[in-house]
Amino acid sequence: MKKNNVLLAPFRTICLFICLVITLGLISPKVVHAEYGDVVINNYSEEAGMRPVVFPHWFHRIRFRCKVCHADLGFKFEAGGNKIDMLKIIDGEYCGACHNGEVAWSVENCNLCHSGKPGTTTQVHGSTVQQLVSPEKDKQNK
Amino acid sequence: MKRTYIIAVLLLLSKSLSVQAADVVNGKKVVDLNCVACHQTGVMGAPKIGDTAQWTKRTEKGLTQLTKNAIDGIKSMPAKGGNSLLSDQDIKDSIAYFLSAANVKTESASQKTKDSPISSAKSTKEITPQKKKAVPQKASVASTPSKKPIKTVKSGAMKFNRLMKPPSEWNPAPFEDGIHDPDGEGAYTLQAPKEAFSQLNKASSGNRVDWMKSLDNKKIMPRYDRLDETKKPFVMDLNIVREVKGSMPDVVYPHKQHTEWLDCSNCHPDIFIPKKGANQISMASILMGEKCGVCHGKVAFPVSDCRKCHSKKKKTPFVASKNN
Ligand code: HEC
Ligand code: HEC
Ligand code: HEC
Ligand code: HEC
Ligand code: HEC
Ligand code: HEC
Ligand code: HEC
Repeated sequence: MKKNNVLLAPFRTICLFICLVITLGLISPKVVHAEYGDVVINNYSEEAGMRPVVFPHWFHRIRFRCKVCHADLGFKFEAGGNKIDMLKIIDGEYCGACHNGEVAWSVENCNLCHSGKPGTTTQVHGSTVQQLVSPEKDKQNK
Repeated sequence: MKRTYIIAVLLLLSKSLSVQAADVVNGKKVVDLNCVACHQTGVMGAPKIGDTAQWTKRTEKGLTQLTKNAIDGIKSMPAKGGNSLLSDQDIKDSIAYFLSAANVKTESASQKTKDSPISSAKSTKEITPQKKKAVPQKASVASTPSKKPIKTVKSGAMKFNRLMKPPSEWNPAPFEDGIHDPDGEGAYTLQAPKEAFSQLNKASSGNRVDWMKSLDNKKIMPRYDRLDETKKPFVMDLNIVREVKGSMPDVVYPHKQHTEWLDCSNCHPDIFIPKKGANQISMASILMGEKCGVCHGKVAFPVSDCRKCHSKKKKTPFVASKNN
C-alpha cells in the first residue's frame, strides 16, 4: 500500500501539472495577471452585447478614499453585488455619481468602462483566493 | 580560386540560412513580448502581423532602411518598439519574423547578413545613447523590469517560477493584463498602473504600492468627499490588540489607518461588532475573504504581508515544546 502511494504521488502531480499546462495553453496563451484590486463586472454587459466592465481600484483610490464610494455612494463590498445598470448610471447612481461630465468624464465614453475581454467573469482580481495555488484557481481564471 | 570562391559563397549562404532560422524563432519571442500590442491590431497604422500586402509595401524601401526605421522609430512607431533594452539583432530577428509571418519573400534577407555587421556596428554606437532619451517615459518604465527575467527564463515546463508570478508580470499595462480586451480601444487609452505608481512609495505585494506611506507622505491626496476637496477624514486613534496562540506575534488592529480611508459604517456593525474581543477572527476566515479578509487580500494590502498585522512581540516568549 505504502509503496503504491509513493509511486502514485508524483504521478498525480505530473498529471495535474499536465492538465494545468494544457488548460492554460489551450484556453489562454497569456495567463491572467491583472492588476491587484481590478474588478470585472459582467452581470449584464456581455448578454447585452457590450464588453465586460473593468473597474480599477488603484486608479480611483489615488483620487478618492474608500469611504466616498463604499459609504456615501453605497457600493457594497462585493464584486457584482450592486446590480449596477446603465439606467442607474445615467440617473446619477453608482459610477454615474461621478461619470457625469462634472466630477469625471461622462457616460458616452462607453469603451473606457466596457474595456474587458469577452468571456471574463465577474470577480475581483489578485485576491487571496486567486493567489492560493490550486488547480481550480486556473479554471476560474480561465 | 574558383573552388574557394564557391566554398565561400556556400559558407555565407549556409550561415545566412542558419541565422535566418534562429532569427525567426527569437523574432517571434521578441515580437510577442514587445510588438504585438500595436502590430497585432494595427493601431495607428502599424502594419499588421501576417498582412502580406502591408509588409510587401514596407519592404520596398529595402530591408536596411526598414530595420533602421524600426530601430530609430518612425512616426507613431517608437524606437525599438519602446523597449530600449532590445538589441539591434532582436529588431532584425523581429522583422524576419514579421516578414515570414506575412509570407513576404526574403531574398533581401540574405543580403541583410552581408550588410548587417557593418550597419549594426555603426547603428548600435550611434543610436543607443540618444535613444534612452527618445523613448517615452511610459514605455521605458513599463518594459524595463520585464526584460531580463523573460529572456533568461524558458517558457513552459522549464520555467524557473512555475507557480509564482515573476516580477516581469507585476503591474501589467491594461492591454496585456489578460482582462482588458486588446482588440478594444479602451485598453490603449487607459492609464498603465506603472505610470502612476512610479511616484509612490513601494511595497512588496499587492499593487506593489505602500498606500499608507504614500498617503502619509502626501504623494496622493484622495478626496474624503466626492465634491469637497477640503473635507478632512475623522481619524480615530484606537489600537486593539488581539493575542494570538502559538508562535506568531500578536495582532495590532489600528483604527487610525483605517479611519483615514474608511467610515465607521464600513466595518461596524456588518463586519465587526464594536466591542473588543467580541468577534471571532481566525486566519482561515481571513484567507477566505471574511473579517479582515473582506479588504485585505482584495484591495488593501494582501494577507502575505504577515508582519503588518502580526506586529506586536509577545509578552511571554513562545516555547514550541511546552505544549507537547
Ligand atoms: C462609467 C462607466 C460606464 C460607462 C462610461 C458606460 N457603462 Fe455601460 N455599464 C457600466 C456598468 C458598471 C454596467 C454593469 C455591468 C454588468 O453588470 O454587466 C454597465 C452595463 C451596461 C449594459 C448592460 C446593462 C444595461 O443597463 O442594459 C449595457 C447595454 C451598457 N452598459 C451599455 C453602455 C453603452 C452603450 C455605453 C456608452 C454610451 C456605456 N454602457 C457606458 C458602466 C459604464
Ligand atoms: C470610485 C469608487 C470606489 C472607491 C474609491 C473604492 N472602491 Fe471598492 N469597489 C468599488 C466598486 C465599483 C466595486 C465593485 C462593486 C460591484 O461590482 O458591484 C468595489 C468592490 C470592492 C470590494 C469587493 C471585492 C470583492 O468582490 O470581494 C472591496 C473589498 C473593496 N471594493 C474595497 C475597497 C477599499 C478598501 C477601498 C479603499 C482603499 C475602495 N474599495 C475604494 C468602487 C470603489
Ligand atoms: C506603440 C505601438 C508600436 C509598437 C509597440 C511597435 N510598433 Fe512598429 N510600428 C508602429 C506603427 C504605428 C508603425 C507605422 C509607422 C508609420 O506610420 O510608418 C510601425 C511600423 C513598424 C515597421 C515598419 C517601418 C517602416 O519603415 O515601414 C517595423 C519594421 C516595425 N514597426 C517593427 C516593430 C518592432 C520590431 C516592434 C517591437 C520590438 C514594434 N514595431 C513595436 C507601432 C508600434
Ligand atoms: C467617486 C467618483 C467616481 C466613481 C463613483 C467612479 N469613478 Fe471612475 N473615475 C473617477 C475619476 C475622477 C476619474 C478620472 C477622470 C479623468 O481622467 O478625467 C475616473 C476614471 C475612470 C476610468 C479611467 C481610468 C484611466 O485609466 O484613465 C475608468 C475605466 C473608470 N473611471 C471606471 C469607473 C467605473 C466602471 C465606475 C463604476 C463601477 C466608476 N468609474 C465610478 C471617479 C469616479
Ligand atoms: C476596518 C474596519 C473598522 C473601521 C473602519 C472601524 N472599526 Fe472600530 N473596530 C474594528 C475592529 C476589528 C475592532 C475590534 C473588535 C474585536 O476586538 O472583536 C473594533 C472595535 C471598536 C470599538 C470597541 C473598542 C473596545 O475597546 O471595546 C469601538 C468603540 C469602535 N471600534 C468604534 C469605531 C468607530 C467610532 C469607528 C469610526 C471612526 C470605527 N470603529 C471604525 C474595526 C473597524
Ligand atoms: C473595510 C476594509 C478593511 C478591513 C475589514 C480591514 N482593513 Fe486593514 N486596512 C484597510 C485599508 C484600506 C488600509 C490602508 C492600507 C492599504 O490599503 O494597504 C488598511 C491598513 C491596515 C493596517 C496598517 C498598515 C500600515 O501600513 O500602516 C493594518 C495593520 C491593518 N490594516 C490591519 C487590519 C486587521 C488586523 C484587520 C482585521 C481585524 C483589518 N485590517 C481589517 C482596509 C481594511
Ligand atoms: C490583515 C491582517 C493579518 C494578516 C496580513 C495576517 N494575519 Fe494572521 N491573524 C490575524 C488576526 C486578526 C488573527 C486572529 C487573532 C485572534 O485570535 O484574535 C490572526 C491569527 C493568526 C494565527 C493564529 C491561528 C489562527 O488561525 O487564528 C496564525 C498562526 C497566523 N495568524 C498566521 C499568519 C501568517 C503566517 C500570516 C502571513 C501569511 C498572517 N497570519 C497574516 C490577522 C492577520
